[in-house]
Amino acid sequence: MKKKFLSLALAGAMALSMVACGGAQDNAPAATTDTGATTDTTAPEVASELVDGKFADTRHITVEVYDRSIDGGSDVTNNKYTDYIKQGMLDKYNVEVEFVAVPRWTEVEQINNLLAAGDAPDICVTYDYATIQTYANMGGVLNLADYVDTYKSDLPELWDWLTEYNMYYDKDPNTGNLWALEAKLAVSNRIVTFIRQDWLDELGLQAPTTTEEFEKTMVAFKDNADKLLGADASKMVPYSASYDIGWRTATLIESFIDENVTDKEYYLNGYDDRKLTENGTKEAIRLVNKWYNDGLMWNDFTLYGSGDSTEDDMMKAGYVGAFTHNWDYPFRNGEDSINHVLESTVGPDAKFVPIDPFKNANGNYTKFVSGPIDRKIFFPSTNDEPLASMLYLNFISSPEVIEYLQIGDEGVTHNVLESGAIEIVAATGDAIQNSGFNIDYTITCNGLKLQDQAKTDLSRAYSYAFNDPELVQKAHEIANTDLKVIAHASVGEITAESGMGDVLSSQRDVVYDQAVVCKPADFDSVWDSNIQTYLGMGGQAIMDERASAWEATYGSTENLQ
Amino acid sequence: MKKSNRLAYIKRYWQLYALLLLPIIYLIVFKYVPMAYIQIAFKDYSIVQSVWEMPVTSNHGFKYFLQAFQNKNFLLALRNTISLNLLDLVIGFPAPIIFALILNELSFKYFKKTVQTIAYMPHFLSWVIIYGVALQLFAPSTGFINMLITNMGFETVPFLNESAHWVRTYIGVGVWQSFGWNSIIYLAAIAGISPELYEAASVDGAGRFRKMWHITLPGIKPTIVVLLIMALGNILGSSFDRPFVFQNNLVMDVAEVLSTFVYKYGIKGLQFSLSTAVGLFQSVVGVIFLLLANWLSRRLGERGIW
Repeated sequence: MKKKFLSLALAGAMALSMVACGGAQDNAPAATTDTGATTDTTAPEVASELVDGKFADTRHITVEVYDRSIDGGSDVTNNKYTDYIKQGMLDKYNVEVEFVAVPRWTEVEQINNLLAAGDAPDICVTYDYATIQTYANMGGVLNLADYVDTYKSDLPELWDWLTEYNMYYDKDPNTGNLWALEAKLAVSNRIVTFIRQDWLDELGLQAPTTTEEFEKTMVAFKDNADKLLGADASKMVPYSASYDIGWRTATLIESFIDENVTDKEYYLNGYDDRKLTENGTKEAIRLVNKWYNDGLMWNDFTLYGSGDSTEDDMMKAGYVGAFTHNWDYPFRNGEDSINHVLESTVGPDAKFVPIDPFKNANGNYTKFVSGPIDRKIFFPSTNDEPLASMLYLNFISSPEVIEYLQIGDEGVTHNVLESGAIEIVAATGDAIQNSGFNIDYTITCNGLKLQDQAKTDLSRAYSYAFNDPELVQKAHEIANTDLKVIAHASVGEITAESGMGDVLSSQRDVVYDQAVVCKPADFDSVWDSNIQTYLGMGGQAIMDERASAWEATYGSTENLQ
Repeated sequence: MKKSNRLAYIKRYWQLYALLLLPIIYLIVFKYVPMAYIQIAFKDYSIVQSVWEMPVTSNHGFKYFLQAFQNKNFLLALRNTISLNLLDLVIGFPAPIIFALILNELSFKYFKKTVQTIAYMPHFLSWVIIYGVALQLFAPSTGFINMLITNMGFETVPFLNESAHWVRTYIGVGVWQSFGWNSIIYLAAIAGISPELYEAASVDGAGRFRKMWHITLPGIKPTIVVLLIMALGNILGSSFDRPFVFQNNLVMDVAEVLSTFVYKYGIKGLQFSLSTAVGLFQSVVGVIFLLLANWLSRRLGERGIW
């Protein structure tokens, strides 16, 4: 009897909680679909809600902001700059803004979780378009096609800044859907090679201007390790790269790709943003393989993953002779920047200077750049304030807002020099910029953009605290030498790409890393078999679908405008 | 009569049932309700639909299972999971037993306690930390052990960056991390063996090894069998953090396991149905192994786990 009662009680409790929990969970997603649908249908009427360009009643929106967990940084959701934005939005449009922090280095996973839970911010930002496409296919993303046109008159600054190119960049030519807006790069500098000037001087060498000279210089560094590093000679790494070989030797790889490659060929092989399958890449990596086996590179590079600071520390300690990285890499992070630390620990002459050594067969230093696109901004379907959200984008794109967020207050975050240039100084406390130029708040703009273009050019070099403006200027010039802008093929969704981003990019790194460290005699077989794996995992399907989509859109045209 | 009995019973014991309620709710909410979402393996996942509304996939719901088994990477991850787990079992399972037996023979109490505590410690370290330590020790050019080896005039050993060596390092570090902690349960079982047996054996002239073989080991045999059954049930299961932090691009052919496969395809590639299917497959195979091992142990005259 006791037993019977016990089981009854248990069953009762079970049933009760089942109903309670099951009910709640089942209702949640249904509710979100409803709101999505209603905002869709009422969209055009919402425009009339604005009285003199302002909401009559206060609206509330949430906005994603990256959290880079900077040492000594401020709360990214609540500081001087967020207050400025909140006040501005309230005054201008009567919209309350709330920021939601998302960790920068796990943004895709975090956004996934938020979207799946129905808690995503009204305005989301990601670098990963594939994520947006996947959620759009599930009905989780608002179609912006209607809003950008319907509200065009309310969004002058947004249209002015992004222009049709960025506004319509992701518009599907077949369906007319627009899932995301592309933020704009004010500076499209990508990647530059840096070398230790003091080492060159000590050995009486000139900065290399060809790939061959570069190799000779690296050999000279290695051969003179005792002279250059003394007791630490064994720690020398003449040319350093990380596991991300495709990025960290990008200018070398690009010097092996035919600069006159047709738009079509480039596009068909262009899924991988590290150019794995472009024609020429293999030969570039064969050279890197030789350098690795000649002891010119970092022996342990494969063991340290993304975000690991070991390599940076080696650069700062002065063991690295040269490296290829983001054009402003040694200047980043003010007092903690590589060049500044190097100068204070190794000596006043120690510094990395930008060089442009990788000359291609035509005698050019070609660097491939895509159009000025950056992060992608989208609204999840749980966004029930699309107009207020569009107005936010308009606000954040206005020149004076961008300028204030980027350079802050005079005397606190910047000084005005005699020449009129703005010099960024390291701020402290609440005024600290958690990201360079507050890039995480200026979500429609990446790169210094002041209201006055001449002043922008003048100031760019002064925007890295504790660093020599001349070097910054030189790096900027090198990054802009022999640019080849890649044409944008607008052919609609390639379904084979969906969900494959990370799978293929990690296989890509496997191909690159194994090809670099294998014995030169094995290079061909290692490369070819790993490439076959890459293609088999989905790379080939993407190429094939891209080919047919290209033909469907552009016919037999090989080159776009 | 019956009714009043029941009332009296409730009156007397209701507090005990109230106490029981909370853990039961916990189990139901976090262990049973989520089981409803197993359906995702058979359906096309959608973020905006409830799990009941999602459409069933083609091939009678088995689309993602077929997709997984046609995926070379899945088969590779499956092979690696099984072989790494088997190695873990063969090397890692006896380690705590041997350790417990040795520890039991120590007569100096304080030394025993100290050794025990030190052996437990690695269990409390996260795998990220352990990998950090492993890197400091085993990295080819900057690792402490490799520096010793090169200073003695030998070639560096690619502990972490060559497939066969990587497997050894991975298994070795795994054993190091867990043997101390896993020995607790054996030590407890040994403590439960009646001292009279040892005394009787001594009288009969048995030495240390005789006693260990004829008393201690048979005494903890049921514990060993139960733990072995549980370990077999986990033959396809894989922890995430250990392989994830240890793998690198040079050893992916042996280091990719099911949990990291699911992370890559499912979480990062947003293929939730595929990863649920893989997870379900792992669980089903795990249950089959568990049942088989349990049946076998009963056949061999042991008690099994239920």
